Amino acid sequence: MTGNPSLVDTVESTQSREIFWDKDVYNLELERIFGRSWLFLGHESLLPKPGDFITTYMAEDKVILSHQPDGSFRAFINSCTHRGNQICHADSGNAKAFVCNYHGWVYGQDGSLVDVPLESRCYHGQLDKARLGAKHVRVETYKGFIFGCGDADAPSLEEYLGEFCWYLDTIWEGAGGGLELLGPPMKSILACNWKVPTENFVGDGYHVGWTHAGALHGIGGELAGLAGNRAEMPFEDLGLQFTTRHGHGFGVIDNAAPAIHVKRDGWAKYLADTRGEVLRKFGPERERLYVGHWNCSIFPSCSFLYGTNTFKVWHPRGPHEIEVWTYTMVPRDADRETKSIIQREASRSFGTAGTLESDDGENMSSATFVNRGNITRDGRMDSSMGVGFEGPHPVYPGIVGSSFIGETSHRGFYRFWKELLDAPNWDAVKANDSVWDSVFLNRDYWTAKLDAAE
Amino acid sequence: MSVERVLAGLDVQYAIDMHYRAEVRLWQTGQYREWLNNMVAEDIHYWMPIYEQRFLRDRRPDPTPDDAAIYNDDYGELDQRVQRLYTGTVWMEDPPSKIRYFVSNIEAFDTGNGEFDVYSNVLVYRNRRQLEMTVHTLGREDKLRRVDDGFKVFRRKLLLDARVTQDKNLYFFC
Ligand code: FES
Ligand SMILES: [Fe+2]
Repeated sequence: MTGNPSLVDTVESTQSREIFWDKDVYNLELERIFGRSWLFLGHESLLPKPGDFITTYMAEDKVILSHQPDGSFRAFINSCTHRGNQICHADSGNAKAFVCNYHGWVYGQDGSLVDVPLESRCYHGQLDKARLGAKHVRVETYKGFIFGCGDADAPSLEEYLGEFCWYLDTIWEGAGGGLELLGPPMKSILACNWKVPTENFVGDGYHVGWTHAGALHGIGGELAGLAGNRAEMPFEDLGLQFTTRHGHGFGVIDNAAPAIHVKRDGWAKYLADTRGEVLRKFGPERERLYVGHWNCSIFPSCSFLYGTNTFKVWHPRGPHEIEVWTYTMVPRDADRETKSIIQREASRSFGTAGTLESDDGENMSSATFVNRGNITRDGRMDSSMGVGFEGPHPVYPGIVGSSFIGETSHRGFYRFWKELLDAPNWDAVKANDSVWDSVFLNRDYWTAKLDAAE
Repeated sequence: MSVERVLAGLDVQYAIDMHYRAEVRLWQTGQYREWLNNMVAEDIHYWMPIYEQRFLRDRRPDPTPDDAAIYNDDYGELDQRVQRLYTGTVWMEDPPSKIRYFVSNIEAFDTGNGEFDVYSNVLVYRNRRQLEMTVHTLGREDKLRRVDDGFKVFRRKLLLDARVTQDKNLYFFC
């Protein structure tokens, strides 16, 4: 499937249905998308002390993320270098060492092989332990969020996030305290291709009023007007949508950060108390984002809703299944009660039994499995909403769409997905750095719109 | 947990068994409003905590209601969940799915003042659309209170027997 121009058509804004179904596409994704990208591993708050560890996935690879005595983090493949057994079966904990269940090889907190039972007698002094440490992956952090990467040639995490950092800083740093994650994560299996939820979070403001009509009725609040798509809503004035160099993107609904939360006094007060400092540090454009509700995906498979404050990782398990991990994001310096209520509200809406989560799973599964049909699969999906009503913006980096209901960030996500899938290596990707956004043809959309407004 | 327990009398064991059967019948026939009104106390704490896979030597305490949970609801929040199911716009329940409950190993202890600690096991079978079938097993720890002609639950702790839920969601009452 490499180089097949039909998988993603950036001119017509369509994608082949094979991208949700085909095993060859998936295998290529494991190698070229997941194998090359920075993948979310955890947050410092989940393993605060030296010796703390969590076990997680990088795509289908099991990894141990471990807090080192010097305060840094290391990650290594959760598989013994002797006969391959999984090293650690706990979700998290604090350990001086990891002992393999099979023959008892002992790995240190940094993944090095430190002890081998019967070594001198049975290996006769011939075992080179230094070469038999667990396999490492690169680990870097940004504002407390920890990512891992299996590609030595990939750019740094900060370069990989690129201009998206400008947006992330708004909330991951905020007024100063930044965010942390609360676990342990809820985990569930969803029978769908991993890109369906990722594209849903990266920019699907369109489905909110229809898919979630029932839940929005019950919740009320700022978004109730969207329920059923019946309201006369001034969609061009309600928010924006963004995409960036490496496919990271989001949509924002203005002034709606805590909209999904019913018990929201603490969170709303926190935002009100801190927005002034955000304005001072980051300017009015980002203060606007700070009090808005975001639906966001970090390429390839990590998503969050800022405001609702649910944080998701979609671990792929073959082309037609994912494991969904759900954490809660909270402001690091909020008081305990506020954090606790944010966590309850986020879980009640987007946890495994969430009032809105339960609406989404059905769509994601059926959008994947209808493609079992041969005639069906020989067809395309459309993401053309708002083509031309988007472009470079004088202040906001990347490409900016005119409304949070549009598919600008879908197009940006699949544009980069295809670029990375086709590229022989990261050098080939870097060669496109200055021209990546040329598929967004209307270069004057924002200058014309902003001039007209003046 | 180690305090001495007084097993409730046979008549109460029987009444609670019948109460649970009636509760299941309401759920299986979509009478969620009737269930909430008649069987759930207004001071309910309805809780399904998250248990991690941890080593036996791990000394961290069990989850509390301040920790992450799949359900952590008060009466108003349960009421919202019920209300959602009557909006007519929950597309995944249209056509409706099937659900069947099997409640067993009921063990009721009399804690005085007309209140009872009741333990039970629940097996939940869901069948949706053409071929979707999921099974969940849960341990259930209830606190029931006698009311005029029956019982109301005012604490319900649900112990899900799976670290990773093998289902789209756990949006069902149990
Ligand atoms: S496989 Fe791990 S010690 Fe042998
Ligand atoms: Fe959704």
